[in-house]
Amino acid sequence: MENKHKDNESKSGNFKLPKLPFNFPKLPIKLPKPPPPPTHLGDVELPKTLMYLLPIGGLFTLVFVGAIASFIITAWWGQPIPVLGFEQTFDQPINFPHTVHASTKQLDYKDADGNIMVGLGTDCTFCHRTVNKNTAAGANAYIPPVNFCANCHGVIGSEDNVQLNILRDAAGIIGDDGTSPINWRRVHRLPDHVRFVHEPHIRYLSANPEHIKGETDGVSTGPSAVCSTCHGNVASMEKVYQVEPLKMRQCVDCHRDNEAPTDCATCHH
Amino acid sequence: MTTDVEKFGTRNWGMIADLDKCTGCQACVLACQAENNIPINTQDRVERARSISWIRVERYWEGDFPDTKARFIPIMCQHCENAPCEPVCPVYASYHNSEGLNVQVYNRCVGTRYCANACPYIVRFFNYWDPVWPESLRNHLNPDVTIRSRGIMEKCSFCIQRINRTSRKAKSEGRELEDGEIQTACSAACGTHGIVFGDLNDPESRVSKLKNHKRAFTLLEQFGTDPNVIYLAKIDPNKKGSEEGHH
Repeated sequence: MENKHKDNESKSGNFKLPKLPFNFPKLPIKLPKPPPPPTHLGDVELPKTLMYLLPIGGLFTLVFVGAIASFIITAWWGQPIPVLGFEQTFDQPINFPHTVHASTKQLDYKDADGNIMVGLGTDCTFCHRTVNKNTAAGANAYIPPVNFCANCHGVIGSEDNVQLNILRDAAGIIGDDGTSPINWRRVHRLPDHVRFVHEPHIRYLSANPEHIKGETDGVSTGPSAVCSTCHGNVASMEKVYQVEPLKMRQCVDCHRDNEAPTDCATCHH
Repeated sequence: MTTDVEKFGTRNWGMIADLDKCTGCQACVLACQAENNIPINTQDRVERARSISWIRVERYWEGDFPDTKARFIPIMCQHCENAPCEPVCPVYASYHNSEGLNVQVYNRCVGTRYCANACPYIVRFFNYWDPVWPESLRNHLNPDVTIRSRGIMEKCSFCIQRINRTSRKAKSEGRELEDGEIQTACSAACGTHGIVFGDLNDPESRVSKLKNHKRAFTLLEQFGTDPNVIYLAKIDPNKKGSEEGHH
């Protein structure tokens, strides 16, 4: 075998390239001179500044195309950059401020008596009741029914508040068109082939607070702090937007860090 | 880092189907269709042999007229230990998990249909069309089960959504799973309790006690697929040497 191999090697050593029927030009090749920039368009003389403007225009086109490309790439890898209407948020039927309900800080709002408001600091689970319950409904953080809001807002808030009156109308407190649900728009949405259940995540992170990521608005314990890991500091949001990309990579990274199951059937079934 | 098996135990889900108790009532078929968001098998689809039913009750006639007897056997995915469908999948959409389940990952599946060709039990079904339900059934769909879109393979999952849900419940209550706590849709629907679901690795479970029964057999044993679904043979009172006084 070795001899045979040697033979092959010596053969390849003797191998010569066939002569080409033409000669390669010697490098460096002299490039043809670029044509001078146009000074006339027909009979009209163009301004000399155009010479400088044209490349700048080209540069801007490149930047524009690059920006569009980066939007597509970020949408694929993570979430869109939150500018120019690419925010992961929606206009809701009622401008529900999470700051008023969940924050513990002083707000820009003034109440009906003209006093500066301070956030109520309500726990997330006060309204999103099913989220830490191990029921079929606990899979999603349900938005409470209208009547739940009306329990407080039937009395709390001024009678002239336009936003609150939408709620009162829906709850049948004012107006005479009966009750109707409010069509909130969902902000955090996972693909249809993902089965995410909140309860085990809240249970685990409540027991292991060192794994909580994200910041909270003065709330350091309980479900409110736990939620910030994926939802960000909702208590500081006037309008809820998606903070984390919530892609599978993020799920799997966290599951690996916390030694949670990474079997496909844990989430996909 | 510990593996899933070390951390979450070695369960091996299995099923016992007692053919002596099977009356061929099709309740399991109906329950499965409702539980797992299986598209409606319209006449058109059945005629083209493209109907989907994760569990089916096959009927055989035994003996000549007038002494004919109907024999029924429910057939679902056998969750084979040596599953022929798994090695043929080019994208690992069909794989075996640590709990002895043969799992079909819908979002991985690209629809080559190799697995359906490899399966000797004909329990894998391909979605030739997007599933359509009438508007009145919209709220009947199970939110715990993915709706399989057009172009992917699907099959019995041993109601993995029920396994996950019940395991989660037990864990949140800080206790071990009890035998018989997990019921698949078919075993829950079986009027004669002919289908038993449980952990084959647990020596005290009902399935492990029944799997060594003298009537036990598995389908197409000669292929060596080692199914996790074990059948108990029908008792024939006229046959000599058959078991007496069962029930």
